[in-house]
Amino acid sequence: MVRDTGGTRPVTATVTLDDIGSRVAAAAAGGRALRIAGRGTWLDAGGPVEAGETLSLASYSGIVDYVPGDLTITVRAGTPLTEIASATREHGQWLPLDPPGSPDGTIGATVATGSYGPLATAFGRPRDQVLGLESVSGTGEVITVGSRVVKNVAGFDLTRLLVGSWGTLGVITQLTLRLRARNDVERSAGIVVPERGRKLAAVLAAARAARIAPLALELLDPSVAHRLGLPAETVLLARFGGNSESVTAQLAELAALGQSFAAPDDCWDRLRALDADATATLRFSTPLADLPILWDALADGATGGQELLRHATVMRGIVRCLVQAPAGSARSLDDVLTGIARPLESARLIPERLGNAWSRIAGASIDDPISRRVKLAFDPANVLNPGILGESP
Amino acid sequence: MSLNAEPARPSGGDYTLDPALARKLAEIVGGTHVLSRQSQLLVYNSDGLPGYRRQPSLAVFPGTRDEVIDVVRALHEAGAPFVPRGAGTGLSGGALADGIVLLGLNRLKRILDIDVENRTATVEPGVVNLSLNRAVGPKGLLYAPDPSSEAACTIGGNVAENAGGPHCLKYGVTLNHILAVKAVLPDGSIVQLGDEVSDRAGYDLVGAFVGSEGCFGVALEITVRLLKKPEVIRTMLADFLTVDGGARATSAIIASGIVPAALEFLDGPTTRVVESSIYAAGYPTDAEAILLVELDGLLDGIDEDVDRVRRICMDAGARTVRVARDDAERLKLWQGRKKAFGAMGRLAPHLVVQDAVVPRTKIPEILAAIHGISQKHGVLVCNIFHAGDGNLHPNIPYNADDVEQSERVHQAMREIMGVCIAAGGTITGEHGVGLDKIGYMEKIFTPNSLAAMCRLREVFDPERRSNPGKVVPLHSCREWYATPAGRGR
Repeated sequence: MVRDTGGTRPVTATVTLDDIGSRVAAAAAGGRALRIAGRGTWLDAGGPVEAGETLSLASYSGIVDYVPGDLTITVRAGTPLTEIASATREHGQWLPLDPPGSPDGTIGATVATGSYGPLATAFGRPRDQVLGLESVSGTGEVITVGSRVVKNVAGFDLTRLLVGSWGTLGVITQLTLRLRARNDVERSAGIVVPERGRKLAAVLAAARAARIAPLALELLDPSVAHRLGLPAETVLLARFGGNSESVTAQLAELAALGQSFAAPDDCWDRLRALDADATATLRFSTPLADLPILWDALADGATGGQELLRHATVMRGIVRCLVQAPAGSARSLDDVLTGIARPLESARLIPERLGNAWSRIAGASIDDPISRRVKLAFDPANVLNPGILGESP
Repeated sequence: MSLNAEPARPSGGDYTLDPALARKLAEIVGGTHVLSRQSQLLVYNSDGLPGYRRQPSLAVFPGTRDEVIDVVRALHEAGAPFVPRGAGTGLSGGALADGIVLLGLNRLKRILDIDVENRTATVEPGVVNLSLNRAVGPKGLLYAPDPSSEAACTIGGNVAENAGGPHCLKYGVTLNHILAVKAVLPDGSIVQLGDEVSDRAGYDLVGAFVGSEGCFGVALEITVRLLKKPEVIRTMLADFLTVDGGARATSAIIASGIVPAALEFLDGPTTRVVESSIYAAGYPTDAEAILLVELDGLLDGIDEDVDRVRRICMDAGARTVRVARDDAERLKLWQGRKKAFGAMGRLAPHLVVQDAVVPRTKIPEILAAIHGISQKHGVLVCNIFHAGDGNLHPNIPYNADDVEQSERVHQAMREIMGVCIAAGGTITGEHGVGLDKIGYMEKIFTPNSLAAMCRLREVFDPERRSNPGKVVPLHSCREWYATPAGRGR
């Protein structure tokens, strides 16, 4: 499913790298801002973009190079995640990135937004999986950084800078990614855990100390668990991979922590899809030990009867909070967001989808002097997604 | 003497030291921590690569973070270029100061905080890699990056070079383990990049800083992510009569879905020199390739993976596969690997340690090409490398005082690098560009890409005073020539 709430503007197909370069160069020369888009999945994700034109990478897609023996793949930015999944599956491999939202979304948008899901537990974020990329800077120049080998320290790391920069430093056009071989056995299971407070904290600490090495370990609130077809309780959901002996032992170890149940394999896909119903999404990053406090604070901060859906990546200290569409006015959404946006001092807000509320809730995320200089160095005319990171014009 | 075609000179060449600066620095750090006599400075004229000797005109060794800040501010006021340096084990000529100020950070070796609950540690830049692991190990934690020089190299140096090590295969390079860096920029301003959480909004400035080879500023505090120590470790030695067999086994292990903690390859010449040294590890000396495969993680299921790796190796032509019975045997197997560079001192007074990465599937053909190049130039190449990553280390023992031999060695190394580049590889996987690789940068990056790297550098160091002349060739920096600092060139 493709979300395209910003789709009132004309979307022009771009077919070649030259097209993209000349579109950006022309925009820079004419002082016209561009909204950079993949398949539109994240169009309403950031702050309001002041741009008269959309530069879509959706038709700039396809696998450029895939060498299964090297476990690397090079793809154009508009390639849907599903296409990468099906190409790699044939060779028993996968790209372990499970960002929220539609699997039809593009790899370019996933990397540009730095999006990730529960698999970050074992495999890290896009930052850890992108080996190299090609992009078009704000002046229309093609810049290629990194490479297609798994270790590379040649030159300054522009790759990391572009990952998660929301298209504001360059239009990502092509990427090389590190793949993994799939495990022989994969099983998912959950346990029912205390809803909140010290009892929950104790279970989470026990899980972190347990003899398990999960691919994913996600805490779900009862609403989320219910939507995934699991018991409507607070649940700790784990995904294990490895050889059968290892997986069996880990399932037993998890079961020792609480009342356990087997979970269907598709529950992870259902978790990703939850995002489709949300009006706004906030992601918080916190020190591991503060995660239970954050979990409770988010529940406490919800006011006005709006439903919040919460799930947390326990090993990474990440909580995602999905706000369901409020029945009332836009103002009431703002109230809800304001109520939960500052849950505790140690938590960092990473806005995923706030739309027009961004600047009020999140503030600019690139307002420090270094970030401003970085933006100016790569997009001096400020034509790439201006405003999307909450920065003022 | 330069290994490469590029006769790179650090651009501090036209800098003349003001005696007032030495006095000012001595006021900050104390006279005993400022070195200015040529005999004292001789120690700092190399970072392990014998092809490069560059001597600083002054070396300063602050003892606290405040002293570092004051020193950098004094250097800024004096307009003095400088080179930050950790333990000087980089092996790329990156930490060399040519007639400019060397800023040594190895006195800043305090571990500031170990947060067991949140699995982080905050350290000063001069903390030795192994010291951190000795401190966190008893708490059941692990700092995963383990360069072969871990007993000497510093975390600050690791961050500057984005250092690797055998266990990067499973755990990732330094970058993957750095949460935050507090740094002083060359203009004396203090910046906090990242913090103790794993993710945050905005640009990944930590990602940009890690691996910037001291060109962006000086780290004052580094916050690293710690991992839970693995429950069990199994180290295996597989030996092959052919190089090809070892390479085939490498690919097959990776393809199996098992991710070894480490997968190291030593060729015949390397194992033989190790076995003839005090680091003898019991490697078979008639093998042409040995693999050190380490699996770690949970106890349950590990023996099934060990058996599978054993079968894969035997199917690829291994003669024997031996599993270390205890820690003592395991450490002995690793000591041979980690001390192999030292063992090569038996063969010749100097050693070129090279660092290139190739796609893993190209390893057999690259090794064959390296063999051909070594024959052609009459040099001995010892190959010892992180096979799972395709991170090659072709090493050539030689006598750097022998001009004719040196030229053959350099020519062979240039050709080896050419073969790696042609195979779609890169010129450094963990040691950095430094002086040694700067001549290759234009072979793997376009002028646009190099100019973009320059622009990033100028964000942090517009006057290019921190480690000048390194990483990106000066002539690639188009915009820089429009600045006042650039017009002076």
